[in-house]
Amino acid sequence: MTPQEHPEIVDPLAAEYVLGTLRGPARRRFAAWRASSAPVQERCRFWEENLMHLARGLRPIEPPEQVWHGIRARLNLPAGLEPRRRSTGRLLAIAASILLVAGLAALLYWRGLQPGRISAVASIAAPSGQQIWQVEVYGTTGRLVVLARRLPAHPSDRDYELWALPAGGKPVSLGLLPATGSTQRTLTAAQQQALAHAPQVAVTLEPLGGSPTGQPTTTPIYIVPLQSV
Amino acid sequence: MSPAVQTADLDQELQSLLERCAASDASALQRLYQLAAPILFACLLRILRRRALAEEALQDVFVSIWQSAGQFRATRGRPMAWMMSIARYRAIDLLRHERSAPVLVPELAERAEMAEESREEAAPWSPPGGLLERCLGLLTDHQRNCLELAFVGGNSHEDISRLTGNPLGTVKSWIRRGLQSLRQCLEGPT
Repeated sequence: MTPQEHPEIVDPLAAEYVLGTLRGPARRRFAAWRASSAPVQERCRFWEENLMHLARGLRPIEPPEQVWHGIRARLNLPAGLEPRRRSTGRLLAIAASILLVAGLAALLYWRGLQPGRISAVASIAAPSGQQIWQVEVYGTTGRLVVLARRLPAHPSDRDYELWALPAGGKPVSLGLLPATGSTQRTLTAAQQQALAHAPQVAVTLEPLGGSPTGQPTTTPIYIVPLQSV
Repeated sequence: MSPAVQTADLDQELQSLLERCAASDASALQRLYQLAAPILFACLLRILRRRALAEEALQDVFVSIWQSAGQFRATRGRPMAWMMSIARYRAIDLLRHERSAPVLVPELAERAEMAEESREEAAPWSPPGGLLERCLGLLTDHQRNCLELAFVGGNSHEDISRLTGNPLGTVKSWIRRGLQSLRQCLEGPT
């Protein structure tokens, strides 16, 4: 069978091969066909280029150092090739600049130069009463600030995701919750709209990078009131 | 700098690094790893769902990139799409072997380092939206959800049926029609 003889089946098969839904013996047969046919390769490349867009929500995750060591060993690469090794002087310079920036940020923050005025706040706490996150909405500038307090242990292959629960509407993601420190982000118009009509916010445990469906995939572990200030 | 310029710069650097890898320049692989490993690791972790397995797969992926860098042709595609495909195909291959293995309890109290980017912000490794974003916008919610569950999560038709609570035949049909709509939108009707 050649792609020229059956062009109508090449594209659907290539699309499902790249998507990953072509499985089992059919996948193996198609992979062999692809390896020997330039037109089949061309259709696969078309889908690889375009479907990659679906992964835009993925956020980089730093792999542990031993992965690089393993690669280096398997390929017999010279020792001393360390992706993240930096000289002590450079490390100190980086640390100093981070401290300077962090110090300035803290100063600005505590002087009240937050992104506008707080318009709503939610406190997410464990059943023991221990606060886990403080969520602050700055309505005038459309910013969201989340401060992490004390995060309970959770699976390393999951992220906490925050949702606005607008009255009578579907949950709207407000992004991932930080494990430590704080995050600030600009809310989209849809998120601001949802928050304006949300008496509550919720937290769910989602796959790394957040819900792949745009809606919660698990039952919320926290639902708390969003209080206007 | 605009996201489009960032993406073009990154593409150019990745392409040049792949060329140097093809010429057996180990320092190029080191730099390539710095730039691409975090997003490829995120991709593998999402599909494989087990850290140890994703780490093993990431090693396989970079060994494969090193060995086949000479086959990459910039005129036929973007370097990140090429590398992400190697990673995704490896992960799907591993899923086949892992399917019969027992599901392990996820490790606790270990937190992945992550960039604090919101999902809406442009990622330099990802292509600019443009036409594709408009074409994705033409899909129904069901079609788009199914495509994302398959591409990003590495889920099979059966997995998606279970996850979404929809019949298998319906899921297959949403995916088939979603892909058909995308192709027509991107290339025009045939």
